[in-house]
Amino acid sequence: MPNRDKARSKTDVLQGTLDLMVLQTLATLGSQHGYAIAARLEQVSAGALRLNMGTLYPGLMRLEQRGLIRGDWGVTDTSRKARFYTLTAAGRRELKSERAEWERMTTIMRTLLQEEA
Amino acid sequence: MATLREWISRLVATLRPRRGERELEQELRAHLELAAEAAEQRGQSPDDARRAAAHDAGGVVQAMEALREQRGVPWLEDLARDLRYGYRMLARNPGFTAVAVVSLAIGVGANCAAFSFADTLLLRPLTVPRPAELLTIGQVNPFEDSLDSSYRDFADIRDRSRSFAGLTAFAKSTAGFAPSAEAPAKLAIGLLVAGNFFDVVGVEPQLGRDFRPEENQAPSRDAVVILGHEFWTQQFGADPAILGRTVRLNGADFTVVGVTPARFTGVDQFVRFQFYAPLMMWPRFTPDDGARPFEARDYRRLTVMGRLRRGVTRAQAQAELATIAADLERAHPDTNRNGRLLVRTELQNRIAQAPPVATLAAMLMGLAGAVLFVACANVAGLLASRAPMRAREVAMRLAIGAGRRRVVRQLITESMLIAFAGALLGLGVGYAAVRLFSQIQIPVDLPIAPTFSLDRRVLLFSIAVALVSAVLFGLAPALRAGRTDLTAVMKASDAAGFGRRRPWGRRVLVGGQVAIAVVLLVVATFTYRGFQQQLTGGPGFRTDRLLMMSVAPKQLRYSEAQAQQFFERLAEAARLTPGVTSATVTRYMPMDGIPPSITIVPEGFEFPPGQDSVVIASSVVDEHYFETIDLPILRGRAFQPTDSADAQRVAIVNQVVAERYWRSQDPIGKRFRLDGARGPWVIVVGVARTSKYTFAIENPKPFVYLPFRQQPADSMFLLAESSGDPLLLAAPLRELVRGLDANLPIANVRTMEEQYRLRSLVVLDVIVTTIGAMGAMGLALAVVGLYGLVAYAASRRTKEIGIRMAIGADRASVLRMVLGQGLLLIAAGLGAGLVASMGAGPLLDSIFARGMAGDRGTTLFAFGLVASTVLLVALAAAYIPARRASMINPTEALRSE
Repeated sequence: MPNRDKARSKTDVLQGTLDLMVLQTLATLGSQHGYAIAARLEQVSAGALRLNMGTLYPGLMRLEQRGLIRGDWGVTDTSRKARFYTLTAAGRRELKSERAEWERMTTIMRTLLQEEA
Repeated sequence: MATLREWISRLVATLRPRRGERELEQELRAHLELAAEAAEQRGQSPDDARRAAAHDAGGVVQAMEALREQRGVPWLEDLARDLRYGYRMLARNPGFTAVAVVSLAIGVGANCAAFSFADTLLLRPLTVPRPAELLTIGQVNPFEDSLDSSYRDFADIRDRSRSFAGLTAFAKSTAGFAPSAEAPAKLAIGLLVAGNFFDVVGVEPQLGRDFRPEENQAPSRDAVVILGHEFWTQQFGADPAILGRTVRLNGADFTVVGVTPARFTGVDQFVRFQFYAPLMMWPRFTPDDGARPFEARDYRRLTVMGRLRRGVTRAQAQAELATIAADLERAHPDTNRNGRLLVRTELQNRIAQAPPVATLAAMLMGLAGAVLFVACANVAGLLASRAPMRAREVAMRLAIGAGRRRVVRQLITESMLIAFAGALLGLGVGYAAVRLFSQIQIPVDLPIAPTFSLDRRVLLFSIAVALVSAVLFGLAPALRAGRTDLTAVMKASDAAGFGRRRPWGRRVLVGGQVAIAVVLLVVATFTYRGFQQQLTGGPGFRTDRLLMMSVAPKQLRYSEAQAQQFFERLAEAARLTPGVTSATVTRYMPMDGIPPSITIVPEGFEFPPGQDSVVIASSVVDEHYFETIDLPILRGRAFQPTDSADAQRVAIVNQVVAERYWRSQDPIGKRFRLDGARGPWVIVVGVARTSKYTFAIENPKPFVYLPFRQQPADSMFLLAESSGDPLLLAAPLRELVRGLDANLPIANVRTMEEQYRLRSLVVLDVIVTTIGAMGAMGLALAVVGLYGLVAYAASRRTKEIGIRMAIGADRASVLRMVLGQGLLLIAAGLGAGLVASMGAGPLLDSIFARGMAGDRGTTLFAFGLVASTVLLVALAAAYIPARRASMINPTEALRSE
């Protein structure tokens, strides 16, 4: 089924990107709850990146299942109960290698695209 | 990319689905609240903030769905849900469920039984690693249709063949076994094996060691023995200290060097061998001249078995053996003329040696398959009856967003549930059959028995049958439901769009059911009547007031003359024993397996080209045999004491021999050469009536009797006629043998009645019961199917019937109308079934004996009986729903819309 494979690889790239963004956010800001991560990404992208819950939370769950982040219930500054996510050691390693990979890719892409231009 | 860890986590979540569901929702709600809070801080009103948050973040329900998908293994959860749902559906329709499950239980049970039968007698592989690689090699023994070899031929084949990873040889042998020199000997059965036997079959002794190469080099030198595991356990309490001890085999000391593993029972499907000795010890186990087994090329008593080399096909091995056989024929024309070497798989061996068993097993499998078909047709019919109802439900589910794929899967799951419930119950039916089959036991003192059991193979087969049947009855309706036309079904009051074209298919199914039931019943009737007919004449000899026991002085290494003298004295002394009215010794006891054979050349008989002698079943008996067993001599005379070793050699033949070789001549005084064209002349002095020899139902067999004083035998039965209860003779006769030689093992002490019952009647009983049960099951299932169809058709026409009655049709005409439809089906099924049954007679003839099907009259009778039974029962099945339909109250029928 070539079509399905294509579709899957596309979402994989998106998922991979989301994973990297979440890991980097947690690395930068430390322990955060889901909404804070979404808000941060929205802010950084100047509103271009609005994650709905149906995308964000399965992503968080997947990272948790892979042991890259850990979720614990805690209390926000405004005394609300929320689930806070923290990078694990494995997550930190993953972030490092993924970032290196991402940078390598973007360099290649940039070079390529500039040449084309 | 999903890592292993992710999947494990998903699996755990699936198995504990309730955990976290609320927590997930809490987290999502917290998200919305935090978002609203942020919006409020930006100055929006609380209401607006909430709405904006919900808009940006998306719905909780959708997110939950995505989370669930991420959390677990979706198809597994679906399966669990489908199973729960299916279970509820089945529980809500107990009538439907019960009929479907019981139908399938019968179908699966019948197959379970037939497979267990075929597996035990034919299919079960040898208890060795990679049994499929093992082939038997040898010349066809025309009498038993086994593949035999001589030691010399074996050595040549082994040295020249390249097709096999290993070639080994063995010979079955019974022996007198005693755990010590003082203990009395008992009969035991073992294998004499070439040195590489365990290597080739791929089995290592569990205890001790394999034979050493030097232990199979010099004849009669190394008296070592490896014990069978079961024998070791029974005889020595599984004592590991057995190694190094001596036991006695045929009166000689053998040192125990090993014990086989428990799972290995030898290379035979029925015999669980008790000991293994080096082939070089063969002279210890045969009365034949010591060197002959290893020297004579025509001493073909060995089975040669080879493990095919990887990558070599059976055809290649066969081709290579053909050239080896041609070379052997050229080098040894005297002994190897026409000596074709064949290879056979274990299954081919078993079929060749008992073709009727193979046909019977195939027939039972066929009948069971037919029963399964009838059962599946029932379930399919039931599903079709429920189709309109299900169609609305399916349409409803499609309408509220279920995927078609999911709906189909759900329906298949339901079918699987029915199938597995049926299989579970069917194993009960199978167990009953296994218990029935287990009555078939060979009456011997040795561990030779077909072991029927519900083992793993039977279980797997039953499950496979259930799966196949689920596909048979469940797949088509499920797929059709998946194609349901939503709007049509939802709009139609009675789901008319669904299944309007169905009844035809269903009618064919039900007609087929009736036809198959007819075939099953005809086979059962033929079998029953055939057995009855064949048994009325009895076996042809007396079975009452006879006691037998066997002794084999060869087990104590008696010389020919000693053995002769021993049997003479034994018979003499037996006749003098109080309570004995007559006594005889005989080499072969009727119904005791395959009789010994002799090769003869009848004088003046023109053989077809390529044949110059004939192998015939025979026995060696003394002069009292025919009177003791009450077998009449029709012409000429019985044996006399004067037919002694130095007198003219004589024989008594049965009617078949007389008829075949001296047709329309007086057989008395005719001659034949014994043991081939150069053998001594033997004169026929009498013709004995043909009796049954190996089985109660068999085709008339040629048989030759030789007088005991002219033809020595190494083991014989003592047969004594008592004036009262024959069992009372057991003790004095045992005593008699012990008085003659205390070391001689006595075996097979039983009455002729028991012998006949166990060897023949029980077997026939089991077969008749099995086939009869299948016939009854087939009919019962077909009746249920018919009833279901007529009832369903009538219910579909309720409104029409109401209208007919409202405009003046009376009950009788409604009854006729509904019944007429059923009648047409019954007639069609009956006709088709009777036509298909034409083959039953010849089939049974080929399995049992000529004349099973009887003549025209009995055939017609059987057909008539079956036809009227089926007609009557089927009419009753159709009448009940038809009558109910005719009782419809027209006003209610019309109002029911």
